Amino acid sequence: MKLAGYTLKLEKKASFSGLEAILISVVAIAFALFLVGFIFLQAGVNPAEGYKAIFTYAFANSFGVPLTINRAVFILLSSFAFIVPIRAGLWNIGMAGQLYFGALSAFGVAYALGARVSGAVLSPWVVIPLMIVGAIVGGGLIGAIPGVLKGRFNTNEIVVTMMLNFIGYWVVAHMIKEGGPFMGSGGEGEGYKLPASIQAPVVSGVSVLTLAIALILAVLLYVLFTRTRFGYQIRAFGHSPAASRYAGISPFKIAFLTFVIGGALAGLAGYHYFGTVPNLNQIPKNYGDFGDMAFYGIICGLISQGNPLAAIPLALLFGGLTSGGRYVQGKLHLSYGIDYALLGVLMIVLVAFQFFFRYRFVLKKES
Amino acid sequence: MWEFWIRSLNASTIFAIAGLGEVVGQRAGVMNVGVEGAMLFGATIGFIVAKTTGSYLLGFLAGIAIGALIGLLHAFFTITLHGDQVVNGMGIWILGFGLTTYIGSPYAGPLGMGRIPTIGGLSPFFFAALVLTFVIWFVLFKTHWGLKIRSVGENPTVAEVSGINVVRTRYWSVIFSGAMMGLAGAVYALDYNPVWSYNLLMGWGFIALALVFFSMWNPYILLSGAVLFGALWQVSLNPESFLPNIFSRYIWRTFPFVITIIILVIMSTHWFSSRWGAAKPEALGLPYEKD
Repeated sequence: MKLAGYTLKLEKKASFSGLEAILISVVAIAFALFLVGFIFLQAGVNPAEGYKAIFTYAFANSFGVPLTINRAVFILLSSFAFIVPIRAGLWNIGMAGQLYFGALSAFGVAYALGARVSGAVLSPWVVIPLMIVGAIVGGGLIGAIPGVLKGRFNTNEIVVTMMLNFIGYWVVAHMIKEGGPFMGSGGEGEGYKLPASIQAPVVSGVSVLTLAIALILAVLLYVLFTRTRFGYQIRAFGHSPAASRYAGISPFKIAFLTFVIGGALAGLAGYHYFGTVPNLNQIPKNYGDFGDMAFYGIICGLISQGNPLAAIPLALLFGGLTSGGRYVQGKLHLSYGIDYALLGVLMIVLVAFQFFFRYRFVLKKES
Repeated sequence: MWEFWIRSLNASTIFAIAGLGEVVGQRAGVMNVGVEGAMLFGATIGFIVAKTTGSYLLGFLAGIAIGALIGLLHAFFTITLHGDQVVNGMGIWILGFGLTTYIGSPYAGPLGMGRIPTIGGLSPFFFAALVLTFVIWFVLFKTHWGLKIRSVGENPTVAEVSGINVVRTRYWSVIFSGAMMGLAGAVYALDYNPVWSYNLLMGWGFIALALVFFSMWNPYILLSGAVLFGALWQVSLNPESFLPNIFSRYIWRTFPFVITIIILVIMSTHWFSSRWGAAKPEALGLPYEKD
C-alpha cells in the first residue's frame, strides 16, 4: 500500500518484546470490550454506564470484591491447567472435566472421613490437606488420560479432553442427583454441604488458603519454565517436537507429565470453588456454570503467552468481568449470559490479534 | 425397536451433515476444530429466524448463511492472515458458545411451530444427507473441482505451480464447510429437537469432528460412522429398553463420549494407521505461504 511517498509493508517478526506483548494484549482486550459495548447499546444500555457498573461492583463494592477474588483464583488455576500443556504445544481444553473430578475426589475424601453425617465434627488440620491431595490426584488422573493417549498413540488431545468434559459433567450429576452418594440432605440436586469444622479459612469473604496456594503456584510454575531442565524440555518440545526428539526429549514424558500437572491444577480449581468459597462449600446445582467459567483459563493462558505471572492480573480482570457481568445483568435487565458473550468476543478478538504477534507494519520511504 | 432406529437415523443426519462439511474443508487442507461453534450459530440463528418469521425455509437459509459466514471468518484468519488453524478453530468454538448463549436466551423454550413432515418417521434431511454424501463423494473423487480441492490439501505448492488458485480453492472449500455446519445446527434446532436451551448441542459438534478423523476423509465411511453414533446416542438416552438397571441414567449419558475416545484411540494406533492411514491430506493444518 502506498501513502504519500511511503510504502506500508507487512513484515514477519522474528520475536517480540515483553512490552510489545503487553501493548498488543491491552489493545486486544480494550477492543473486545468496545465490541461488547454494542451489545449494551442493542439492549438499550449506555455502554459507559454498563462498564462503570461492572467495574465498580467488581473492584469497589464490599460484596463484589470477594466474589471477584474468589473467581480470579478459580480462573488463575484454570489458566495454569491450560498453560502447562500449551507451553509444550498441547491443547488442554478439559479444565472443566478435570475440575469436576478434582471436586468429586475432594468431596469423596471428606465423605470417606464421615463429613456427610449431620453434625459431624472433624479436624480441619487433617481433612483439609487430604481434600487438597484428593483434588490434585482426581484432576491429575483425568489429565493423565489425554496425556497417555497423546504420548503413546498421538490421539487428538482436543477431542479427548472435550469428551472428558462431558463425561465429567454427567458423572457429577450421577453423584449429586437422584439419590447419588454425595446428594445433599435437601435432596434438590445439590451435593452435600461440608460441615463447619472443615470449611477452609475465610477472611472478609475471600478463601485465603487457596488464594495463597494459587499465588505460590504462579511463582513455582514461573521457576519451572525459566529455571529448570524439565521446563526447558517442555518449551523446546513446544517449539519443535521433531527437533527436541533428536535432542533426546521423550514425547511421551512431555505429553504425560504436562497433562497430569495441568489436570492436577484444574482439580485444585474445583476444590477451591466448591470446597472453600463461603456460602458454597458444596457442589452446587449449577456446577456446569463453573465448568464454563474455566474456559476463561484458555483466554487468560493465551493472552499471557503462557507466562504464569502475567496470568495473575488477567485472571483478576476476568474474575471482575464475570462477577460484575452477572451483577449488571440483573441490575440493568439484560438477558442472560452477558459474561458468556464477553467470553466469546474476547476469544475471537484475541485470535485475530495473534496476527500482530507474528507480523508488524513497517513504513518505508520510497527511494 | 422401529422407533429407536428412526430416531437414531434422524440423529445421525446431523452428525453426517456437519462431518461432511468438515471433510471438504480438511480435504482442502484446512482443519476447523470449531465445528461445535459453527453449529451453535446455525442452530441459534436458524431457530430465532424461524421463530420470529414463522418460516422454516428462512430459518434454514439463515442457519446456512451464518455457517457460511463463520466459514469465511475461519478462511480469512487462517488463509489470508496465516493464523494457526487450531487456535482459530478454538476461537470459533468459544465465540459460538459464548455469543449464542447470550443471543438465544430471550428465545429459550420450544419453537412452537408445526413439526416438519416426515417420511415414515424419517426426517427429509436424512434423505438430503444421503444425497449430499453421494454428491460430495462424486465431486471430490470424480470431478475436476474435486481434484483441485484435494490437490491444495495434499501439496499446495505443486498445485499452485500447475495453475490452481490455492487461496481461492481453499476459501470456497472452507466457506462451504461452514455452511454445512450451520445447516447441521439448524437441522438440530428446527427439526430434530426444536427447543432452544443454553449450549443445546452438548458436544455433537466435537463428536462430528472426531467422526472425520474416523472416516479416513471418505464421505461413505463418515456416513456409516454417523449412523453408528446416532444409534449410540439413542441408547444413551433410553438405556432401559436395552440394559435396564445397570447404571444410572446419568452414567449412560457418558456412553457416546467414552466410545468416541475409544474409537479415536484405535484409529491412532500404529496397527490401524499403517493399514488405512494413508488418506490423511498431506498439508492438513499447515498454512500456505506463497513466496
